[in-house]
Amino acid sequence: MMSVTCHNLEFGRIRLDFVGCGCSSNASPNRFPVRNCAEGMLRNVCRPRKLSCKKREVGRCRVFSTKTPETFLNGVTAGPPTVLDSKQEKKGPSSLSDMFEVVADDLLTLNKNLQSIVGSENPVLMSAAEQIFGAGGKRMRPALVFLVSRATAEIAGLKELTIEHRRLAEIIEMIHTASLIHDDVLDESDMRRGKETVHQLYGTRVAVLAGDFMFAQSSWYLANLENLEVIKLISQVIKDFASGEIKQASSLFDCDVHLDEYLIKSYYKTASLIAASTKGASIFSGVHSDISEQMYQYGKNLGLSFQVVDDILDFTQSAEQLGKPAASDLAKGNLTAPVIFALEKESKLRDIIESEFCEKGSLEEAIDIIEKCGAIERARDLAREIADRALKNLDCLPESSFRLGLEQTVNYNLERIK
Amino acid sequence: MTTMSMKCGINVDFRRTTKFDSVTHFAYGFLKLSSCRPEISRTCIFPTKTPEAFLHGVGAGRSAELDLSTKESKSTYNLSDMFDVVAEDLLTLNKNLLSIVGSENPVLMSAAEQIFGAGGKRMRPALVFLVSRATAEISGLKELTQEHRRLAEIIEMIHTASLIHDDVLDESDTRRGKKTVHQLYGTRVAVLAGDFMFAQSSWYMANLENIQVIKLISQVIKDFASGEIRQASSLFDCDVNLDEYLTKSYYKTASLIAASTKGAAIFSGVHSDIIEQMNQYGYNLGLSFQIVDDILDFTQTPLQLGKPTGSDLAKGNLTAPVIFALEGEPELRGIIESEFCESGSLEKAVGIVEKCGGIERARELAREKADRAFENLRCLPISSFRSVLEQMVSYNLERIE
Repeated sequence: MMSVTCHNLEFGRIRLDFVGCGCSSNASPNRFPVRNCAEGMLRNVCRPRKLSCKKREVGRCRVFSTKTPETFLNGVTAGPPTVLDSKQEKKGPSSLSDMFEVVADDLLTLNKNLQSIVGSENPVLMSAAEQIFGAGGKRMRPALVFLVSRATAEIAGLKELTIEHRRLAEIIEMIHTASLIHDDVLDESDMRRGKETVHQLYGTRVAVLAGDFMFAQSSWYLANLENLEVIKLISQVIKDFASGEIKQASSLFDCDVHLDEYLIKSYYKTASLIAASTKGASIFSGVHSDISEQMYQYGKNLGLSFQVVDDILDFTQSAEQLGKPAASDLAKGNLTAPVIFALEKESKLRDIIESEFCEKGSLEEAIDIIEKCGAIERARDLAREIADRALKNLDCLPESSFRLGLEQTVNYNLERIK
Repeated sequence: MTTMSMKCGINVDFRRTTKFDSVTHFAYGFLKLSSCRPEISRTCIFPTKTPEAFLHGVGAGRSAELDLSTKESKSTYNLSDMFDVVAEDLLTLNKNLLSIVGSENPVLMSAAEQIFGAGGKRMRPALVFLVSRATAEISGLKELTQEHRRLAEIIEMIHTASLIHDDVLDESDTRRGKKTVHQLYGTRVAVLAGDFMFAQSSWYMANLENIQVIKLISQVIKDFASGEIRQASSLFDCDVNLDEYLTKSYYKTASLIAASTKGAAIFSGVHSDIIEQMNQYGYNLGLSFQIVDDILDFTQTPLQLGKPTGSDLAKGNLTAPVIFALEGEPELRGIIESEFCESGSLEKAVGIVEKCGGIERARELAREKADRAFENLRCLPISSFRSVLEQMVSYNLERIE
């Protein structure tokens, strides 16, 4: 049996491996009995046509997840960074897990709850969710919810986080995860953070179903929070996600896209959820709406800054660091900040892009042009400018380790592009 | 929808990944669409269907050509006639749906059109309007509220979104005799169109600002997903029992219908007893509907169904007739468990189900649920609207007579 702990960097095969056929019957390869082991490890069975992969089939044996629930519960918060959560962890003065130390317990509880929410429905769904929950995710959004909750709780005199705070964090992470799963279907991506994507592993059907299920679950939990303001806030986000995808899909390889459109699209796709997280957290803390608005802006600016940095890294990092091919945005025709800046000066780039890289070597040529013409530096400036705004948004909060954590998140993001 | 003229100058490579292209609107509001193979290329193509064509598709009295329930032509009941009392409401609904979905992106619009226009009967919105009007009388409401209308739109969007995703999940090529969205535009567009419509309906729902209804509809969306999962987890499982089947049918079908009828009553402001009766009516109607559909999957021809006969069974989805048949026919069990690997085994299985009375017992089950649905209507005052609600139940049973 292959070990599939985080340190195994062999990604060329499906994650769950055969153990042996424990089944007694010789039924056709399409059985689906599933049971739980005594230790609570999950057994998953993949079969064609059911919730399983297609060609990348696992076959009809019962297979064991080598990842115990504990492994990915602890995946992010309680120990050394996983190998897959690469690059930034090694370079920066503070790693994300350090920064989130102040809310480590909150994140542990979150992980437990998420597992039970998603896993209780169906084990194959669980393993699909595990694939993405465990794929080096930093739990950044829930951490932000907890940090803002605790930072604003002080103002409102709250002693402890409310159940709504916790639920909000879980909802946010489910929405984020669901969108990643569907995104990978939409982008036809094979890899995410160095691991195979859910749809690559289990097929499109499981990916669509897992994503739908998680969206549905989060909608339901959201409704049961019974707070209209937050319900509307989050529903707007889900709508924004879909709109952002559509905008992006409608403007691939469109060299006339300008910076505002890019920022709007980035808002829809990334910043909207983060802004809703931070604003929602402060709403549940019961603080004044001015502060909630500042928290919203913080989330929005952080989110935009984050996206711009991601878009820079797509050019400056290697495939290994990225966990996917370099410049994959550009290759797909998704024109981001560095490209938009470069297009202002480099007409040759325009031609190459409009040709959609049909010529061999043209992608590399395009990357070269972008790197040499100073566009990446301009994108860096943009990221810093937005980050500065985010830091200002924190001025309304009292000094605390939590506010510090929020500031550090902004700086951590910028560090990635130093 | 067929390709018409190609306007762009660039030559297309059909192997490209799907992308949407720039689109312009005509003066009359015609939409440019692309309808190639699964990929959408960089050409602009014109639809042959004007927006008006499918606005009038159902609401204004003519059955869509593809409304393949051929029983319509000789039966007592005709859906479009029945819905005449709410025809105006349905027309308004169609207009609003077009603008909600189409304003975002024309290619999404055409994907939605594909399914909106694919012979859909607008049954769920019609139920919302009928119950709204039937209960409005009780509470003295003079006219439908904005919430009523919005509810109907939300319901139809959710229904449509679930169909689009369902077809991806089932890998279906045709729905009601037409190609499915994902067959025509690719999986990506199908997933995106479904996601978009779910998102839109969630947003409109949140803006209704009624927590009770928000929770009601969120439960439905959750039920849809659960139903899909249950079904996927129990394919070819001959130990499935009738309760599990009814639960799954509830999740997949009756849940939304019950939420439609209940939600309509909530917005009419009637007493909670009546709200509960409307909930039960929708529940029983929905179950009855599903059972009838499951029977027809055996008894109708591919032409009538718009898809092959016995396709549920072929996929391992064991429905009421099969569950009843399995009680007496061990041979059937063997065939199903073999998953029809042998040529002709599906036909054999269908034959067994038909001969052993499984279908007749399913009919009784459908009638039983239908009777309960009639009972649930007793709390309503006599009106043309209540009458149509009753006719809905009967219309459904007619399909299996």
